[in-house]
Amino acid sequence: MPASSATEPVSLTPPRADGVTPHPRLTTIVPSPDVAWPGLVWTLVRTDFKARYHGTASGFAWALLKPATMFVVLVAVFSFVFASEPTYRLDLIIGLFLWDFFADATKTGMTSLSAKSFLLTKAKLPRWIVVVTSMANAVLTLIVFAVVVSLFIVGSGRSPGAAAFAAFALYLVALTLMVAGLALASSVLYLRYRDLNQVWDMATQAGFFLAPIIYPLGVIPERFHLWLFLWPPTPVMEFARAALVDATLPTTRGHACLALMVAILLGGGAAIYRRYAPRAAEYL
Amino acid sequence: MSAASLIDVEAVSKSFLIPSVRRDTVREHVFGVFEPRRFEQLHVLDRVSFTLRRGETLGIMGRNGCGKSTLLRILCGIYIPDGGRVGVHAGITPILELGVGWNPELDAVDNVYLMGTVLGLTLRGISAQLDGILAFAELDRFARLKLKHYSSGMASRLAYAVAFAAVREVLVLDEIFAVGDAGFRARCEARYGELREAGHTVLMVSHDPRTISTFCDRALLLDGGSLIAEGTGAEVAARYVELLTATP
Repeated sequence: MPASSATEPVSLTPPRADGVTPHPRLTTIVPSPDVAWPGLVWTLVRTDFKARYHGTASGFAWALLKPATMFVVLVAVFSFVFASEPTYRLDLIIGLFLWDFFADATKTGMTSLSAKSFLLTKAKLPRWIVVVTSMANAVLTLIVFAVVVSLFIVGSGRSPGAAAFAAFALYLVALTLMVAGLALASSVLYLRYRDLNQVWDMATQAGFFLAPIIYPLGVIPERFHLWLFLWPPTPVMEFARAALVDATLPTTRGHACLALMVAILLGGGAAIYRRYAPRAAEYL
Repeated sequence: MSAASLIDVEAVSKSFLIPSVRRDTVREHVFGVFEPRRFEQLHVLDRVSFTLRRGETLGIMGRNGCGKSTLLRILCGIYIPDGGRVGVHAGITPILELGVGWNPELDAVDNVYLMGTVLGLTLRGISAQLDGILAFAELDRFARLKLKHYSSGMASRLAYAVAFAAVREVLVLDEIFAVGDAGFRARCEARYGELREAGHTVLMVSHDPRTISTFCDRALLLDGGSLIAEGTGAEVAARYVELLTATP
Protein backbone atom coordinates (compact mmCIF):
# COMPACT_ATOMS: atom_id res chain seq x y z
CA MET A 1 0.00 0.00 0.00
CA PRO A 2 1.39 3.46 -0.82
CA ALA A 3 2.69 5.54 2.05
CA SER A 4 0.68 8.50 3.34
CA SER A 5 1.65 11.93 2.07
CA ALA A 6 3.76 14.32 4.10
CA THR A 7 0.98 16.92 4.34
CA GLU A 8 -1.35 14.57 6.17
CA PRO A 9 0.62 12.67 8.80
CA VAL A 10 -1.94 9.94 9.33
CA SER A 11 -0.50 6.57 10.15
CA LEU A 12 -2.15 3.59 8.55
CA THR A 13 -1.19 1.23 11.33
CA PRO A 14 -2.53 1.92 14.77
CA PRO A 15 -1.65 2.10 17.59
CA ARG A 16 -0.27 5.54 16.90
CA ALA A 17 2.29 7.55 18.74
CA ASP A 18 0.03 10.62 18.93
CA GLY A 19 -2.40 9.09 21.38
CA VAL A 20 -5.04 7.75 19.02
CA THR A 21 -6.32 4.50 20.46
CA PRO A 22 -5.81 1.34 18.47
CA HIS A 23 -8.94 0.30 16.65
CA PRO A 24 -11.05 -2.43 18.16
CA ARG A 25 -10.97 -5.61 16.19
CA LEU A 26 -13.77 -5.72 13.69
CA THR A 27 -14.25 -9.20 12.38
CA THR A 28 -15.55 -9.56 8.88
CA ILE A 29 -18.95 -11.18 8.63
CA VAL A 30 -19.50 -12.43 5.12
CA PRO A 31 -23.01 -11.47 4.06
CA SER A 32 -25.13 -14.00 2.27
CA PRO A 33 -24.83 -13.67 -1.50
CA ASP A 34 -28.51 -12.89 -1.75
CA VAL A 35 -31.01 -11.31 0.61
CA ALA A 36 -31.07 -12.89 4.10
CA TRP A 37 -34.85 -13.07 4.02
CA PRO A 38 -35.84 -14.20 7.51
CA GLY A 39 -33.61 -11.67 9.25
CA LEU A 40 -34.60 -8.84 6.93
CA VAL A 41 -38.34 -9.48 7.29
CA TRP A 42 -38.12 -9.88 11.05
CA THR A 43 -36.00 -6.74 11.46
CA LEU A 44 -38.25 -4.61 9.25
CA VAL A 45 -41.33 -5.74 11.16
CA ARG A 46 -39.71 -5.41 14.58
CA THR A 47 -38.21 -1.97 13.97
CA ASP A 48 -41.49 -0.71 12.49
CA PHE A 49 -43.26 -1.91 15.62
CA LYS A 50 -40.66 -0.25 17.84
CA ALA A 51 -40.71 3.04 15.99
CA ARG A 52 -44.48 3.12 15.96
CA TYR A 53 -45.31 1.90 19.45
CA HIS A 54 -42.05 2.77 21.22
CA GLY A 55 -41.41 -0.94 21.54
CA THR A 56 -43.90 -1.47 24.34
CA ALA A 57 -47.08 -3.45 24.76
CA SER A 58 -48.72 -0.33 26.16
CA GLY A 59 -47.78 1.44 22.94
CA PHE A 60 -49.49 -1.32 20.97
CA ALA A 61 -52.53 -0.88 23.20
CA TRP A 62 -53.12 2.49 21.53
CA ALA A 63 -53.58 0.70 18.22
CA LEU A 64 -56.32 -1.40 19.82
CA LEU A 65 -57.86 1.47 21.74
CA LYS A 66 -58.57 3.54 18.65
CA PRO A 67 -61.18 1.23 17.07
CA ALA A 68 -62.39 0.19 20.53
CA THR A 69 -63.15 3.79 21.46
CA MET A 70 -64.81 4.35 18.12
CA PHE A 71 -66.94 1.29 18.77
CA VAL A 72 -68.06 2.51 22.18
CA VAL A 73 -68.99 5.95 20.86
CA LEU A 74 -70.82 4.62 17.82
CA VAL A 75 -72.68 2.01 19.83
CA ALA A 76 -73.72 4.68 22.30
CA VAL A 77 -75.07 6.90 19.53
CA PHE A 78 -76.40 4.58 16.85
CA SER A 79 -77.87 1.85 19.02
CA PHE A 80 -80.81 4.19 19.44
CA VAL A 81 -81.09 4.87 15.72
CA PHE A 82 -80.95 1.20 14.79
CA ALA A 83 -82.68 -0.13 17.89
CA SER A 84 -84.80 -2.43 15.72
CA GLU A 85 -81.66 -4.24 14.49
CA PRO A 86 -80.98 -7.06 16.98
CA THR A 87 -77.46 -7.72 15.70
CA TYR A 88 -76.43 -4.11 15.30
CA ARG A 89 -73.64 -4.17 17.90
CA LEU A 90 -72.04 -7.31 16.51
CA ASP A 91 -72.31 -5.99 12.96
CA LEU A 92 -70.79 -2.69 14.05
CA ILE A 93 -67.78 -4.18 15.80
CA ILE A 94 -67.03 -6.48 12.84
CA GLY A 95 -67.34 -3.59 10.41
CA LEU A 96 -65.21 -1.28 12.53
CA PHE A 97 -62.23 -3.54 13.05
CA LEU A 98 -62.16 -4.58 9.40
CA TRP A 99 -62.36 -0.95 8.38
CA ASP A 100 -59.62 0.04 10.80
CA PHE A 101 -57.31 -2.52 9.22
CA PHE A 102 -58.20 -1.41 5.70
CA ALA A 103 -57.64 2.29 6.42
CA ASP A 104 -54.46 1.79 8.46
CA ALA A 105 -52.74 -0.73 6.19
CA THR A 106 -53.46 1.14 2.96
CA LYS A 107 -52.18 4.37 4.51
CA THR A 108 -48.91 2.93 5.84
CA GLY A 109 -48.43 0.87 2.68
CA MET A 110 -48.73 3.94 0.51
CA THR A 111 -45.94 5.82 2.29
CA SER A 112 -43.79 2.74 2.99
CA LEU A 113 -41.20 3.23 0.23
CA SER A 114 -40.88 6.91 0.94
CA ALA A 115 -40.50 6.25 4.67
CA LYS A 116 -37.72 3.74 4.01
CA SER A 117 -35.87 5.86 1.47
CA PHE A 118 -32.84 5.83 3.77
CA LEU A 119 -32.48 2.12 3.09
CA LEU A 120 -33.57 1.95 -0.51
CA THR A 121 -31.01 4.47 -1.75
CA LYS A 122 -28.15 2.64 -0.07
CA ALA A 123 -28.46 -0.97 -1.06
CA LYS A 124 -30.23 -3.20 -3.50
CA LEU A 125 -33.05 -5.06 -1.82
CA PRO A 126 -36.45 -6.25 -3.01
CA ARG A 127 -38.55 -3.16 -2.52
CA TRP A 128 -41.84 -5.03 -2.41
CA ILE A 129 -40.76 -6.56 0.87
CA VAL A 130 -40.66 -3.09 2.41
CA VAL A 131 -44.24 -2.48 1.25
CA VAL A 132 -45.54 -5.81 2.49
CA THR A 133 -43.78 -5.68 5.87
CA SER A 134 -45.12 -2.15 6.44
CA MET A 135 -48.55 -3.79 6.77
CA ALA A 136 -47.38 -6.11 9.52
CA ASN A 137 -48.50 -3.95 12.42
CA ALA A 138 -51.96 -3.53 10.93
CA VAL A 139 -52.12 -7.29 10.32
CA LEU A 140 -51.15 -7.93 13.94
CA THR A 141 -53.95 -5.65 15.13
CA LEU A 142 -56.33 -7.41 12.73
CA ILE A 143 -55.43 -10.79 14.17
CA VAL A 144 -55.84 -9.61 17.76
CA PHE A 145 -59.24 -8.11 16.96
CA ALA A 146 -60.30 -11.18 14.99
CA VAL A 147 -59.62 -13.37 18.01
CA VAL A 148 -61.38 -10.94 20.35
CA VAL A 149 -64.41 -10.67 18.07
CA SER A 150 -64.58 -14.43 17.65
CA LEU A 151 -64.55 -14.87 21.44
CA PHE A 152 -67.15 -12.12 21.73
CA ILE A 153 -69.38 -13.93 19.23
CA VAL A 154 -69.07 -17.19 21.09
CA GLY A 155 -69.53 -15.40 24.43
CA SER A 156 -72.74 -13.82 23.19
CA GLY A 157 -74.26 -17.27 22.91
CA ARG A 158 -73.90 -17.77 19.16
CA SER A 159 -72.31 -20.85 17.70
CA PRO A 160 -71.68 -20.21 14.04
CA GLY A 161 -69.61 -23.37 13.66
CA ALA A 162 -66.17 -24.26 12.40
CA ALA A 163 -67.06 -23.67 8.75
CA ALA A 164 -68.11 -20.11 9.56
CA PHE A 165 -64.88 -19.39 11.41
CA ALA A 166 -62.88 -20.92 8.55
CA ALA A 167 -64.75 -18.74 6.08
CA PHE A 168 -64.14 -15.73 8.31
CA ALA A 169 -60.40 -16.48 8.27
CA LEU A 170 -60.52 -16.71 4.48
CA TYR A 171 -62.26 -13.34 4.25
CA LEU A 172 -59.50 -11.80 6.36
CA VAL A 173 -56.92 -13.26 3.99
CA ALA A 174 -58.89 -11.89 1.04
CA LEU A 175 -58.98 -8.42 2.60
CA THR A 176 -55.26 -8.58 3.35
CA LEU A 177 -54.48 -9.52 -0.26
CA MET A 178 -56.65 -6.69 -1.58
CA VAL A 179 -54.92 -4.23 0.74
CA ALA A 180 -51.53 -5.58 -0.37
CA GLY A 181 -52.47 -4.90 -3.99
CA LEU A 182 -53.54 -1.36 -3.17
CA ALA A 183 -50.38 -0.81 -1.11
CA LEU A 184 -48.08 -2.08 -3.86
CA ALA A 185 -49.62 0.23 -6.44
CA SER A 186 -49.92 3.27 -4.22
CA SER A 187 -46.39 2.95 -2.78
CA VAL A 188 -44.78 3.58 -6.16
CA LEU A 189 -47.38 6.11 -7.30
CA TYR A 190 -46.92 8.10 -4.08
CA LEU A 191 -43.29 8.73 -5.03
CA ARG A 192 -44.51 10.55 -8.15
CA TYR A 193 -47.61 12.17 -6.64
CA ARG A 194 -46.72 13.35 -3.19
CA ASP A 195 -50.22 14.41 -2.22
CA LEU A 196 -51.67 10.99 -3.03
CA ASN A 197 -51.91 10.31 0.71
CA GLN A 198 -54.22 13.31 1.08
CA VAL A 199 -56.32 12.12 -1.84
CA TRP A 200 -56.50 8.69 -0.20
CA ASP A 201 -57.40 10.28 3.15
CA MET A 202 -60.39 11.91 1.44
CA ALA A 203 -61.30 8.64 -0.27
CA THR A 204 -61.19 6.68 2.98
CA GLN A 205 -63.15 9.37 4.79
CA ALA A 206 -65.90 9.07 2.20
CA GLY A 207 -65.37 5.32 2.04
CA PHE A 208 -66.11 4.95 5.72
CA PHE A 209 -69.67 6.02 5.02
CA LEU A 210 -69.81 4.19 1.71
CA ALA A 211 -69.16 0.92 3.49
CA PRO A 212 -72.03 -0.38 5.62
CA ILE A 213 -70.23 0.07 8.92
CA ILE A 214 -72.47 2.26 11.04
CA TYR A 215 -75.64 1.46 9.16
CA PRO A 216 -77.11 -1.88 8.08
CA LEU A 217 -76.86 -2.47 4.34
CA GLY A 218 -80.59 -3.09 4.34
CA VAL A 219 -81.38 0.61 4.81
CA ILE A 220 -79.91 1.34 1.39
CA PRO A 221 -82.18 0.58 -1.61
CA GLU A 222 -81.18 -2.71 -3.15
CA ARG A 223 -80.48 -1.23 -6.57
CA PHE A 224 -77.42 0.51 -5.07
CA HIS A 225 -76.01 -2.58 -3.40
CA LEU A 226 -73.95 -3.62 -6.41
CA TRP A 227 -72.17 -0.27 -6.37
CA LEU A 228 -71.53 -0.47 -2.66
CA PHE A 229 -70.07 -3.94 -3.10
CA LEU A 230 -67.48 -2.56 -5.50
CA TRP A 231 -65.83 -0.80 -2.54
CA PRO A 232 -63.39 -3.52 -1.36
CA PRO A 233 -64.20 -3.55 2.38
CA THR A 234 -67.94 -3.95 1.78
CA PRO A 235 -68.08 -7.56 0.56
CA VAL A 236 -65.62 -8.66 3.25
CA MET A 237 -67.67 -7.01 5.99
CA GLU A 238 -70.94 -8.38 4.73
CA PHE A 239 -69.58 -11.88 4.23
CA ALA A 240 -67.91 -11.88 7.66
CA ARG A 241 -71.14 -10.74 9.31
CA ALA A 242 -73.10 -13.39 7.46
CA ALA A 243 -70.70 -16.11 8.60
CA LEU A 244 -70.21 -15.04 12.22
CA VAL A 245 -73.48 -13.36 13.16
CA ASP A 246 -76.06 -15.03 10.93
CA ALA A 247 -74.20 -18.36 10.67
CA THR A 248 -74.87 -18.46 6.94
CA LEU A 249 -72.32 -18.64 4.19
CA PRO A 250 -72.69 -16.42 1.14
CA THR A 251 -73.42 -18.02 -2.22
CA THR A 252 -70.78 -19.54 -4.47
CA ARG A 253 -71.35 -16.67 -6.86
CA GLY A 254 -70.68 -14.22 -4.05
CA HIS A 255 -67.43 -15.98 -3.22
CA ALA A 256 -66.47 -16.01 -6.89
CA CYS A 257 -67.05 -12.26 -7.09
CA LEU A 258 -64.89 -11.75 -4.00
CA ALA A 259 -62.12 -13.91 -5.49
CA LEU A 260 -62.33 -11.90 -8.71
CA MET A 261 -62.06 -8.66 -6.78
CA VAL A 262 -58.99 -9.99 -4.94
CA ALA A 263 -57.43 -11.08 -8.24
CA ILE A 264 -58.07 -7.71 -9.87
CA LEU A 265 -56.74 -5.64 -6.96
CA LEU A 266 -53.73 -7.82 -6.22
CA GLY A 267 -52.90 -8.44 -9.88
CA GLY A 268 -53.47 -4.82 -10.86
CA GLY A 269 -51.48 -3.56 -7.90
CA ALA A 270 -48.59 -5.89 -8.66
CA ALA A 271 -48.65 -4.85 -12.33
CA ILE A 272 -48.49 -1.15 -11.45
CA TYR A 273 -45.75 -1.88 -8.95
CA ARG A 274 -43.71 -3.82 -11.52
CA ARG A 275 -44.14 -1.00 -14.00
CA TYR A 276 -42.84 1.75 -11.71
CA ALA A 277 -40.69 0.05 -9.07
CA PRO A 278 -37.49 -0.29 -11.13
CA ARG A 279 -37.10 3.49 -11.18
CA ALA A 280 -38.52 4.10 -7.71
CA ALA A 281 -35.13 5.02 -6.23
CA GLU A 282 -34.88 7.93 -8.68
CA TYR A 283 -37.91 9.51 -7.03
CA LEU A 284 -36.78 9.04 -3.44
CA MET B 1 -15.81 -10.79 -19.29
CA SER B 2 -12.25 -11.73 -18.42
CA ALA B 3 -11.52 -14.16 -15.62
CA ALA B 4 -10.03 -11.38 -13.49
CA SER B 5 -12.85 -8.85 -13.91
CA LEU B 6 -15.46 -8.55 -11.23
CA ILE B 7 -17.45 -5.69 -12.72
CA ASP B 8 -17.68 -4.93 -16.44
CA VAL B 9 -19.22 -1.62 -17.41
CA GLU B 10 -19.85 -1.25 -21.13
CA ALA B 11 -21.07 2.02 -22.64
CA VAL B 12 -23.36 2.78 -19.73
CA SER B 13 -25.53 5.85 -20.16
CA LYS B 14 -27.99 7.44 -17.84
CA SER B 15 -30.08 10.55 -18.23
CA PHE B 16 -32.84 12.21 -16.32
CA LEU B 17 -35.73 14.18 -17.76
CA ILE B 18 -35.80 17.60 -16.20
CA PRO B 19 -39.20 19.31 -16.65
CA SER B 20 -39.54 23.05 -17.17
CA VAL B 21 -42.07 23.04 -14.34
CA ARG B 22 -41.82 20.43 -11.64
CA ARG B 23 -45.09 18.72 -10.70
CA ASP B 24 -44.96 16.35 -7.78
CA THR B 25 -48.58 16.23 -6.72
CA VAL B 26 -51.93 15.18 -8.10
CA ARG B 27 -53.13 18.75 -7.61
CA GLU B 28 -50.31 20.19 -9.71
CA HIS B 29 -50.97 17.67 -12.47
CA VAL B 30 -54.70 18.39 -12.50
CA PHE B 31 -54.36 22.17 -12.47
CA GLY B 32 -51.48 22.09 -14.95
CA VAL B 33 -53.21 19.87 -17.49
CA PHE B 34 -53.59 22.75 -19.97
CA GLU B 35 -50.07 24.04 -19.44
CA PRO B 36 -47.78 21.75 -21.38
CA ARG B 37 -44.30 21.28 -20.02
CA ARG B 38 -41.00 21.06 -21.82
CA PHE B 39 -38.57 18.35 -20.82
CA GLU B 40 -34.84 18.70 -21.05
CA GLN B 41 -32.76 15.56 -21.07
CA LEU B 42 -29.90 15.78 -18.61
CA HIS B 43 -27.20 13.30 -19.59
CA VAL B 44 -25.58 12.27 -16.34
CA LEU B 45 -23.55 9.41 -17.78
CA ASP B 46 -22.54 9.13 -21.41
CA ARG B 47 -21.26 5.75 -22.61
CA VAL B 48 -18.96 5.09 -19.68
CA SER B 49 -16.91 1.90 -19.92
CA PHE B 50 -14.41 0.34 -17.56
CA THR B 51 -13.54 -2.89 -15.80
CA LEU B 52 -12.96 -3.55 -12.13
CA ARG B 53 -10.31 -6.23 -11.77
CA ARG B 54 -10.07 -8.69 -8.94
CA GLY B 55 -7.94 -7.47 -6.04
CA GLU B 56 -7.45 -3.89 -7.18
CA THR B 57 -8.59 -0.59 -5.72
CA LEU B 58 -10.12 1.56 -8.43
CA GLY B 59 -10.77 5.21 -7.70
CA ILE B 60 -13.30 7.46 -9.40
CA MET B 61 -12.84 11.23 -9.28
CA GLY B 62 -14.78 14.10 -10.72
CA ARG B 63 -16.40 17.36 -9.88
CA ASN B 64 -19.82 17.62 -8.26
CA GLY B 65 -22.54 16.56 -10.68
CA CYS B 66 -20.22 14.63 -12.99
CA GLY B 67 -22.13 11.39 -12.44
CA LYS B 68 -20.02 9.59 -9.82
CA SER B 69 -22.83 8.82 -7.40
CA THR B 70 -25.20 7.85 -10.22
CA LEU B 71 -22.56 5.46 -11.54
CA LEU B 72 -22.12 3.85 -8.13
CA ARG B 73 -25.86 3.44 -7.74
CA ILE B 74 -26.08 1.77 -11.13
CA LEU B 75 -23.28 -0.62 -10.19
CA CYS B 76 -25.03 -1.44 -6.92
CA GLY B 77 -28.34 -2.11 -8.69
CA ILE B 78 -30.17 0.83 -7.14
CA TYR B 79 -30.59 2.68 -10.44
CA ILE B 80 -31.05 1.04 -13.81
CA PRO B 81 -29.06 2.40 -16.77
CA ASP B 82 -30.76 3.76 -19.89
CA GLY B 83 -28.20 2.16 -22.15
CA GLY B 84 -25.17 -0.07 -22.05
CA ARG B 85 -24.49 -3.09 -19.93
CA VAL B 86 -23.27 -3.71 -16.41
CA GLY B 87 -21.90 -7.14 -15.65
CA VAL B 88 -21.44 -7.84 -11.95
CA HIS B 89 -19.63 -11.10 -11.25
CA ALA B 90 -19.18 -10.81 -7.48
CA GLY B 91 -21.10 -9.77 -4.40
CA ILE B 92 -21.05 -6.04 -3.71
CA THR B 93 -21.20 -4.29 -0.36
CA PRO B 94 -22.22 -0.71 -1.03
CA ILE B 95 -21.24 2.02 1.40
CA LEU B 96 -23.11 4.99 0.00
CA GLU B 97 -24.12 8.31 1.54
CA LEU B 98 -23.49 7.08 5.02
CA GLY B 99 -23.56 10.50 6.59
CA VAL B 100 -27.31 10.58 6.27
CA GLY B 101 -30.12 8.14 6.54
CA TRP B 102 -30.89 6.10 9.55
CA ASN B 103 -34.16 5.64 11.30
CA PRO B 104 -33.95 8.49 13.84
CA GLU B 105 -36.62 6.93 16.05
CA LEU B 106 -34.55 3.81 16.66
CA ASP B 107 -31.48 3.43 18.82
CA ALA B 108 -28.05 2.47 17.55
CA VAL B 109 -28.52 -1.25 18.17
CA ASP B 110 -31.76 -1.45 16.20
CA ASN B 111 -30.28 0.63 13.42
CA VAL B 112 -27.30 -1.73 13.25
CA TYR B 113 -29.69 -4.67 12.84
CA LEU B 114 -31.70 -2.76 10.23
CA MET B 115 -28.71 -1.73 8.14
CA GLY B 116 -26.97 -5.06 8.68
CA THR B 117 -29.87 -7.13 7.40
CA VAL B 118 -30.27 -4.80 4.42
CA LEU B 119 -26.58 -5.38 3.65
CA GLY B 120 -27.23 -9.13 3.68
CA LEU B 121 -26.16 -10.13 7.19
CA THR B 122 -28.00 -12.72 9.22
CA LEU B 123 -29.31 -11.82 12.66
CA ARG B 124 -26.87 -14.28 14.22
CA GLY B 125 -23.96 -12.67 12.41
CA ILE B 126 -24.98 -9.21 13.56
CA SER B 127 -25.46 -10.34 17.16
CA ALA B 128 -22.00 -11.91 17.18
CA GLN B 129 -20.39 -8.73 15.93
CA LEU B 130 -22.58 -6.12 17.62
CA ASP B 131 -20.12 -5.22 20.38
CA GLY B 132 -17.29 -4.94 17.88
CA ILE B 133 -19.34 -2.65 15.63
CA LEU B 134 -20.29 -0.35 18.51
CA ALA B 135 -16.72 -0.30 19.79
CA PHE B 136 -15.33 0.48 16.35
CA ALA B 137 -17.73 3.42 16.12
CA GLU B 138 -16.88 4.43 19.72
CA LEU B 139 -20.58 4.37 20.53
CA ASP B 140 -20.74 1.68 23.20
CA ARG B 141 -21.98 4.17 25.77
CA PHE B 142 -24.71 5.46 23.46
CA ALA B 143 -25.93 2.13 22.14
CA ARG B 144 -29.45 2.66 23.44
CA LEU B 145 -29.70 6.31 22.49
CA LYS B 146 -32.06 7.11 19.63
CA LEU B 147 -30.29 8.19 16.47
CA LYS B 148 -32.14 11.50 16.45
CA HIS B 149 -29.96 12.51 19.39
CA TYR B 150 -26.72 11.64 17.57
CA SER B 151 -24.50 14.14 15.84
CA SER B 152 -23.95 13.59 12.12
CA GLY B 153 -20.42 12.43 12.88
CA MET B 154 -21.64 9.80 15.34
CA ALA B 155 -24.19 8.50 12.82
CA SER B 156 -21.54 8.31 10.12
CA ARG B 157 -19.17 6.42 12.38
CA LEU B 158 -21.86 3.89 13.11
CA ALA B 159 -22.61 3.47 9.42
CA TYR B 160 -18.98 2.84 8.56
CA ALA B 161 -18.65 0.37 11.39
CA VAL B 162 -21.63 -1.66 10.10
CA ALA B 163 -20.46 -1.54 6.52
CA PHE B 164 -16.89 -2.44 7.40
CA ALA B 165 -18.14 -5.51 9.25
CA ALA B 166 -20.39 -6.72 6.43
CA VAL B 167 -18.08 -7.15 3.51
CA ARG B 168 -18.70 -9.02 0.31
CA GLU B 169 -15.98 -9.51 -2.30
CA VAL B 170 -16.32 -5.99 -3.71
CA LEU B 171 -16.55 -2.89 -1.55
CA VAL B 172 -18.07 0.20 -3.14
CA LEU B 173 -17.15 3.24 -1.10
CA ASP B 174 -18.51 6.74 -1.55
CA GLU B 175 -16.36 9.44 0.01
CA ILE B 176 -14.62 7.17 2.46
CA PHE B 177 -12.37 8.71 5.10
CA ALA B 178 -14.31 11.96 4.91
CA VAL B 179 -16.09 11.55 8.22
CA GLY B 180 -15.10 11.59 11.82
CA ASP B 181 -12.02 12.92 13.50
CA ALA B 182 -8.41 11.94 12.83
CA GLY B 183 -8.62 8.98 15.16
CA PHE B 184 -11.67 7.52 13.47
CA ARG B 185 -10.22 8.11 10.01
CA ALA B 186 -7.09 6.26 11.10
CA ARG B 187 -9.25 3.32 12.22
CA CYS B 188 -11.09 3.34 8.90
CA GLU B 189 -7.80 3.39 7.02
CA ALA B 190 -6.46 0.54 9.13
CA ARG B 191 -9.63 -1.47 8.55
CA TYR B 192 -9.41 -0.70 4.86
CA GLY B 193 -5.84 -2.07 4.92
CA GLU B 194 -7.05 -5.28 6.58
CA LEU B 195 -9.73 -5.75 3.95
CA ARG B 196 -7.25 -5.19 1.14
CA GLU B 197 -4.89 -7.72 2.67
CA ALA B 198 -7.79 -10.15 2.88
CA GLY B 199 -8.12 -9.80 -0.89
CA HIS B 200 -11.20 -7.60 -1.19
CA THR B 201 -11.60 -5.52 -4.29
CA VAL B 202 -12.49 -1.87 -3.79
CA LEU B 203 -14.18 0.75 -5.91
CA MET B 204 -14.00 4.15 -4.26
CA VAL B 205 -15.24 7.60 -5.11
CA SER B 206 -13.52 10.60 -3.61
CA HIS B 207 -12.94 14.29 -4.13
CA ASP B 208 -9.73 14.05 -2.18
CA PRO B 209 -6.58 13.73 -4.37
CA ARG B 210 -4.63 12.39 -1.39
CA THR B 211 -7.09 9.56 -0.83
CA ILE B 212 -7.08 8.56 -4.49
CA SER B 213 -3.31 8.80 -4.92
CA THR B 214 -2.66 7.01 -1.63
CA PHE B 215 -5.10 4.14 -1.82
CA CYS B 216 -5.89 3.49 -5.48
CA ASP B 217 -3.96 1.28 -7.86
CA ARG B 218 -5.88 2.76 -10.74
CA ALA B 219 -8.34 5.61 -11.13
CA LEU B 220 -10.84 7.12 -13.55
CA LEU B 221 -11.73 10.76 -14.04
CA LEU B 222 -15.29 11.65 -14.96
CA ASP B 223 -16.36 15.01 -16.29
CA GLY B 224 -19.75 15.94 -17.68
CA GLY B 225 -20.80 12.31 -17.52
CA SER B 226 -17.93 11.08 -19.69
CA LEU B 227 -14.78 9.25 -18.84
CA ILE B 228 -11.98 11.67 -19.69
CA ALA B 229 -8.93 10.08 -18.10
CA GLU B 230 -7.67 6.78 -16.78
CA GLY B 231 -4.36 6.07 -15.09
CA THR B 232 -2.71 5.44 -11.77
CA GLY B 233 -4.23 7.01 -8.69
CA ALA B 234 -1.53 9.68 -8.57
CA GLU B 235 -1.89 10.54 -12.27
CA VAL B 236 -5.65 10.90 -12.13
CA ALA B 237 -5.49 12.88 -8.87
CA ALA B 238 -3.06 15.32 -10.51
CA ARG B 239 -5.30 15.60 -13.59
CA TYR B 240 -8.30 16.25 -11.36
CA VAL B 241 -6.50 19.10 -9.62
CA GLU B 242 -5.58 20.51 -13.06
CA LEU B 243 -9.23 20.27 -14.10
CA LEU B 244 -10.34 22.17 -11.02
CA THR B 245 -7.74 24.90 -11.33
CA ALA B 246 -8.22 25.26 -15.12
CA THR B 247 -11.95 25.84 -14.80
CA PRO B 248 -12.85 29.52 -14.59
